[in-house]
Formats: sequence, C-alpha cells, structure tokens
Amino acid sequence: VKLAPRTGGRITAGAVVLALALGASGSARSALGPRYGGELRIALAEAATTVEPSTPRGTADRILAGLVHETLLGVDDEGRPRPALVQSWASAADGREWTLRLAPATFHDGAPVGSADAVRGLRRFLRSESAAAGHLARVLEGGDEYRRRSSEALAGLTSVDDARLVLRFRVPTAVPLAPLASPAAAIVSARGAGAGPFVPTTPPSGRGLSATAFGRHVRGRPFLDVVRLIVAPGDRGADADVTPTAPPLPPATGLLLLILDPAAPPLATGRARALIAASVDRAQLARHFLPGGEPAEALLAPTMLPGLPAAAPPRSAASPSPVAGRVVLRVASDVPQSASQRVVAHLTALGLEVQALPAPVAAAEAGQPRLLVWYPEVAEAGLALEELAALAGWPGAVRSALEAADTVRDFDRRRAEMQRVEGTLRGTHVLVPLARLPLPLGGRSGVHALRVTASGALVVENAWVEP
Amino acid sequence: VSRLTEGRRGQGLRGRLLAAFVLVAVPPLLLFAVFVIALVSDRLERAARQRLGQGLEGVRARVSRLQREADAAVAAIVRDKVSTTAISDEKARTAAAELGASHGLPLLEIVDGSGRVLSSRHWPAGVGLPEGDHEVAGTSDLRWETIAEDYGAAERLAVVATHRGTWSGVPVVVRGGFPLDAEVLGELSDLMGAEVALRDSARGRWVARADSPLAKAAAFDPSKGDGTADIAGTVYRWAAAPLGASLWEVVAVPHTLLAEVTGGVRRLTLGVAALALLAALATALVLSGRIAGPVRELAARARGVGAGDLEHTAVEASDEVGELARAFASMTHELRTSRERLVQAERVAAWREMARRLAHELKNPIFPIQLSIETLRRALDQNGAQDAQRFQSLFRESSDTILDELRSLRAIVEEFSQFARMPPPRLAPTDLRELVERVLALYRARAASVRIETGLADGLPPVPADRDLLARALGNLVANALEAMPDGGTLSVKTRAVVEGVALEVSDTGPGLTEEQRTRLFTPYYTTKKGGTGLGLAIVQGIVSDHGGRIQVESAPGAGTTFTLVLPAAPIMEVVASDT
Repeated sequence: VKLAPRTGGRITAGAVVLALALGASGSARSALGPRYGGELRIALAEAATTVEPSTPRGTADRILAGLVHETLLGVDDEGRPRPALVQSWASAADGREWTLRLAPATFHDGAPVGSADAVRGLRRFLRSESAAAGHLARVLEGGDEYRRRSSEALAGLTSVDDARLVLRFRVPTAVPLAPLASPAAAIVSARGAGAGPFVPTTPPSGRGLSATAFGRHVRGRPFLDVVRLIVAPGDRGADADVTPTAPPLPPATGLLLLILDPAAPPLATGRARALIAASVDRAQLARHFLPGGEPAEALLAPTMLPGLPAAAPPRSAASPSPVAGRVVLRVASDVPQSASQRVVAHLTALGLEVQALPAPVAAAEAGQPRLLVWYPEVAEAGLALEELAALAGWPGAVRSALEAADTVRDFDRRRAEMQRVEGTLRGTHVLVPLARLPLPLGGRSGVHALRVTASGALVVENAWVEP
Repeated sequence: VSRLTEGRRGQGLRGRLLAAFVLVAVPPLLLFAVFVIALVSDRLERAARQRLGQGLEGVRARVSRLQREADAAVAAIVRDKVSTTAISDEKARTAAAELGASHGLPLLEIVDGSGRVLSSRHWPAGVGLPEGDHEVAGTSDLRWETIAEDYGAAERLAVVATHRGTWSGVPVVVRGGFPLDAEVLGELSDLMGAEVALRDSARGRWVARADSPLAKAAAFDPSKGDGTADIAGTVYRWAAAPLGASLWEVVAVPHTLLAEVTGGVRRLTLGVAALALLAALATALVLSGRIAGPVRELAARARGVGAGDLEHTAVEASDEVGELARAFASMTHELRTSRERLVQAERVAAWREMARRLAHELKNPIFPIQLSIETLRRALDQNGAQDAQRFQSLFRESSDTILDELRSLRAIVEEFSQFARMPPPRLAPTDLRELVERVLALYRARAASVRIETGLADGLPPVPADRDLLARALGNLVANALEAMPDGGTLSVKTRAVVEGVALEVSDTGPGLTEEQRTRLFTPYYTTKKGGTGLGLAIVQGIVSDHGGRIQVESAPGAGTTFTLVLPAAPIMEVVASDT
C-alpha cells in the first residue's frame, strides 16, 4: 500500500518501529505517540441504515458517515465553519455572496474533487430530508423553489471553475455556511464514491462493514489501516476495541429529550406538561441512571449556546400535583433502559398511567409522546434550535423568532436572540430536556485519540492503537 | 299372481322372524350402549372435576410455599441485615439488589415510613419515589408489584412477605417475594395438565401464560365457582376459587376432550351394537330361511294338491318341519292313490254309461229298421207279385222308416264325434255384450212364443275367450232354455261384473229341475229330453272349464233354471300372450 502520511508521520512511525525493535513495554510504546497501522473494531448495537450521504439516524449512521464521506465544511464546537474539502471562503455583496475554493482532493474512485461534484452534491442535499438543507434552501436564491421541486433552476449555486463555486443568498445571514457541515451534504463523485478518510471494502450489511485507510484523504492518511464496524447486540461485541460497555467517551453531547406531544390529553395543557417537566429529578436521573450523564435544564449544550440555565438543584420530596391520564411513550432504542424506567417511574408517580413501547431510533417521528437521545445534525445553535422546533411541531412564534435571529450578524446580539428562542421553546414544555449523556461507546485501553463531536459522531480519523 | 302371493306369504314369515330377532336383539344392545356411554361419561366427568380440583389445590399450595419461603427470607434480612446495618444513602440504592440476590428473592424493596422506596431490586427506577404497589384486597400475601420491564414498568402479581424493622435508625418496611407471573402459571399448567390462570375480576384482567386460551376470555365471571366457557371456539370446563376479594384462581380443561372421548365411546359402542345387530340379522335371515323355506315349499305343494297336482316331491327338512313334510307327502300319496282309484272307477262307470247310452241310442233306430225289414220280407213271402201294388206301398213306407232311423244313427254318431273332437280354445279379447246379442239373434226366430230379456252391464272388461266356443256354449244354454219352455215363457240373459271377472246368466221360466237332475246335469249322456244325447251341458262345462271359468246352476221344480257362467277377466297383455 502506498501511503501518503501526514506531516511527521514518518518520524512517528519510525519511532514506533524503533520502540518495537527495542522491546519496549506497552506504556513506553504509548508514550511514543500515534502510530500508523493497526485495526480498530467498533461494536455497535445496530447496523447503519445507509452508506449514502444522508441525515444520520443513529450512532452507526453517524460513525459511517464520518468514515466514508467528507463534507465541504465542518463546524467547531461553537458552530463556526472549519475547512474540509473547501480550503478557503470569501464573502461579497455585503455577505449575500460566498465563494468557496476547493482543496485539492480525490474521491475513493480516483476522481478529483471538483466544483461540479460540489454543486451536484449540494443540489442533492437541498432536496434531502435534512433540517439544515431546509434552512439553506430558505436563504439561498431559488432554494425554496428547487427544494419544492417546482423548478430545476438554482440561481444561488453556481460553479465558477473547477475549484470554485459561489453561493448567493437572498439576504445576508448569520451562519451561511454552517448547513454545509451536515453529513447529508457530503460530496460524492459521479460514480458515488466518497472522499472520507476510509474506503469501504465490504458492502454494508446487517453484520457490519469494513473500511481501509484512504491514503489520498484531504487531510492525509489516517493512522489506522482498517476500521471494522461490527453489529453485535448485547454483550457479543465485548472483545472489540470500542464497545458500548466500556466507559463512555466524553463529552456528554447527546440530549435525553422527553417530547410531550400536546395534540391529545393528558398532555394538551401547558400546566400538565409543566408539572411533568418539573417532576423529573434530573440530578438523580443523571447521577444514578445515566453513567457519565449530566443533568440538563436547557435544550442546547453550553458549548453550543452559553448562558443558558444550568442544572436545577434537587427537587424537594414533597408530592407533586397529580396528573391523570394514560400516555403511550415511544422510547428510542438508544435510550438507556434504566433512564427510561426512571422517567416512567416519575410519570407514574405523578399519577399517569404510562405504557413505554420501544421504537427504532429512526422511527421517533413527530406527533406522539416520545423519549429519545437527540444529537444536532449540525452543531450550530441556530440550526439546532430549528431542528428542535421542528421536533416540537414549530410551536407559537418560534419560527419567526428564529428567522429574525438568523438575520442578526452581530455575534453577541445573535447569541442573545438564540437564548431567547431557546427559552421560548423550552417554555412550551413540549420539549423537556432531562440530561446530557455521552455517546454510548468507549475504547479499551490502548486505543487513543478517539473523539466525539458535538453532533454525536465518533471521529476515528486521528485515532491510533497501540500494537 | 300366485307366485307373488306365495312370495309375500314367504316374506311375511321371514319378516316376522326377522322382526322377532330384531326385537330380541336390539333393546339389549341399545341398553348396553346407553349404559356404557353413561358410565364412561360419568367417569370422565369425575376425572375432569378431580383434575380441576387438583389444579386449584396446586395453585394454593404453590402460593403457600412461595409465601413461606418469602417470609423466611425477609425475616432473615430484617433480623440479620437491615436492623443492624448503618448504611449510606448511596449504598442504600443498591442494598435491595444485593440482599435480594443473596437471599434468593427476585422481588425485594425497602420502603420508608412515608411510603417512599429507599431501595428496590425489582424496580430500581422507583427509588426515592412513592411505591406504586398495592395489596390484593382480602389477602396480605399477594400484591400487585411494580416491576421494571423493558423501557418502563409493569404491574405484576407477586407472593410477598412483609416485615418491619429499622434501617440506619429509620423505621422501614421490608417486603420481598416472588412473582406469580405467566412463567409460574405456565409451569403450573404444564404440571397439572390444565390451564391455570388468575383472574382479577375487579379490573377484568388475566394473569396467565401468553398462549393461554383463558387470557382470550374477555368476559368471564369466576364467582360462579365452575362451569363451561366457549373460548375462541373451544369449550372449556373450568373451576375457580378465590385467592383474595377480587382475585381468583381459575383452572380449565378443554371440554372438547371430554366430548371427544364420550363421542368416541358412543361411536364405538354404537358400532359394536350395529355389528351385533347385523350379525343377528344375518343369523335371523339364515335361520328364517331354513325354517320358512320348507314351510313355503309345503304351502306350494298344498296349493298344488288343491289344484289337482298330486305328484309327490320330497321336501328336504329336518325336525318338526321335516316331520310335517313327511306327513304331507304321505297324505299326498294317499290322495293320489285314492284319486287314481276314483278315476279308474269313474272311467269304468263312464264306459258302462256310454255303453248303456250307445246301446239305448242304437237300439231305438235299429229296432224300427229290423221291424221294417221283417215286415217287407213277410209281405214278400205272403203276397208275392199278386199284390205288387200293396208291396210297393209297404216297401216305400219301410224304406222311409229305415232311412229315417239311419239318419238318426248318423246324427248320434255326429254328436259323439263332436264331443270327442272338442278343440282347445283360441283366446282373444271378447266383448260379451256383442257375443250375447249375436247368439240371441240366431234364436229369436225359433222363439216366437218366448219373451227374451237382456240385462247387459255397461263397461265390462273384455274377457279372454274363444268366440266360437263361447258362442256355442251360450247357444247350447239358450237352446236348452227354449226347449224347456215349449209353451212360452221368458228367457233372460244378463251380464255383470264379479270378483273373478265377468258373470253371464241365462235364466228360463221353465219347469225347473229336481235335486237329482241338478246333481247329474253335467254328466255326459245324461238328458231329460226325449231324443237328447246328454252331451250339450257337458260340452258347455268343458268350454267354460277350458276358459278357466266355472259354471253353476240354480233351479228348483216350478221355479225355472238359471245357469251362471263366471269367466276370468285377465289382463289384455296376458290374454294376447296366450293368444300368440
């Protein structure tokens, strides 16, 4: 295999080889730093639903998207764009026009990544189910018509040359490029090949998928040679390198979210929803029923939107006001059972008759009470609030408030607007944040540099394993 | 017809014999079948009741055993662990799980005085919250416990024991036990060979294994104690007993099993009874055939004897019927011998009578012939040719006398010849009305002084008859009647329908017959008329007899005479067949 190691890779590899040759101990090897080679086996409770660019439906989808695909841009923990296939960008026309310059990169099938691929990928993205795509279509010139399929023309997206493309917006927006970080906006070649750090060598199946390192990845060859995703429900994947049973990787980016559908009694009244929201002792829940979890009072993580309310102190032992009625609660399968049982116990203690039914992660559709672990599609506050508002069925004036906030380009003012929108959305008590929990995966000792993004993706691009 | 009649007689005897066999064989068989079915049904019912009773007892025994075990384990926990253990709040959360595991109690929870769960093995999610359980009314051993299940919790019935104690100085209730759930009830069901379930009549719900048919019985009232219930198309026999105020143990067995066994026994018994009945019928057929066969044959022989057939044929039979057959054969033999002797005597008498009649008939013409010839010889010897004229006159007179007598002799010979040459009748459908009118037309001219009356019935069926022979017979009767009324009178000819066929009556108002004349009337060569041959009525009787009919006469001196011919009216086809 001809490698294209990143800067310093040769030195590190040489050091590892030298350490091996000297028969150094494991701890000594670890101290030497990253090394090329090796295989990482990741045990997952469920298989990925697709290998195509799409909005991830679960942990497996997010991991697979990060392995195989590459987007034009990424976002950091605060939602600011960072380079990916696009190496630089510039704005004009008072922020209504943005020119993106592509980095020299190659798809897995050997084709160079060009602006035509980017335009094709973004056109597909605009018609996908992605919430971020909905946001982009709303602000891009001709985006709405194109997304509704009433027109094939898309004036807001053009290719200047092989390496440049231009996005034109109807109005200047605060976060024009953040939607491009959605996994659904990944760019593929004309033959469907991705440009991610790993090349799939087996088709995805119910048993998993294997991928080998892509030497011509835009950020250089990953350290690992092979990554295997192994679908192993229960304890069958215990011997893998990354397992659901190992201590979970920080940070706690998932939000345990109780959605109280206001369409039907007993959740139709705001009082009942408020009583339910207040009845759950979040501190107890996070401490005793969610390993690695944290109590959550706000809908967004402080890293994404600082200044939101912190966790409330423990509730008093006084009996809450009762709420009568029957609730069928759909619980997504990635919610820890102990946490779900605790939430059900709280609701039952309120006087509700609760029937908890398991549901696939992908089936947590709107229109019914449900308990799920929510990750933002794109870790940007405005886009994340849009997603949450959609989950809540766009209550009240949230849509107009969000649209208004999107036009505010002053950073502090926009943050204040976002905080207000979050408070409004939370005040409906349709979305009840309960706790933050880490991705239910952890690496064994000897696995290094695994990272979890704010949108719940496990990044193995920089990971390496001790021999 | 005779064969049919004979067959019916034979069938009648055989039928009666068969009926007798059936009457003797069937009632015991039916009684046996009813008895067996009743016996088996009763035993199966008892077995089902016993099984249901054992099932109920088994559930109670299992509940008692679980309660004893729970009581001992919880008492030990309270005595050895809870009362003496000072425990941190953090450790308290998992204490129930550890204590339950070490004491073999799948259900264990520790509740404070206000009813909040301090620790729970089966519902850890409820720690710090009010316990969601409640007792089954009417018993302290059974509770509806909230148990963690999948993503939520479920209320499950449990056998529990409760003890009070203190834990880190706090008064607590320690409650532990075992679930009385679908698994336990399924195990009991398998053990009992019956469906075992619990019914909460207040909430209208079942505790039963998943595939239990009882769980499908939405409307079920166990308070009746027992009964049958149609569940999903299957009938179950069930019994119930209370475990609490509104909690019942219910045991059920498929009633169809009982019905199937009873039905099987019923079918088997009825099958055996049917086979026995068939065997009895077959035996009856054979025996009745062996009994009725010779009897039927004897009857046929007797009818043959009645018809004149005295030929002896052996009837094969033994025992009493054989003895009867042998006696009958002996009798037939005697009859035949007697008849032969009688026939022989009658034949001799008839020859004698014929000889006498011949002598008499022949003597009458011969004597005048002899006298005429002697007169002629004497005249010839005495007068010679001198008195030729007188001789010629005498010769002419004598020769006339001789010729007359010779004609009489020829007539006599002709009459005898006709009687001897009587042809067999050629039967054809014959209308009696037309025949009578044709015959009377021949005699009307000769009966100027006699009034002729007819009474011919309408719609009579044609009779099978030889028209010529029957006309001759009727003519003879009409001629006799006219001769009996030389001084006038009334001749009456009538026809009418009778049982055997058609009757033809010829009556006159003549002097009538004496008893002696009437008995000898049909004897050949017997006559009361001067110059008669005595063969006329014999010929009539012969013709009627050849037609299968009969003739009878009613007469008394001074009261006229009536001859009645009865002719059978056979079906046309039979007549035509005979004709062809």
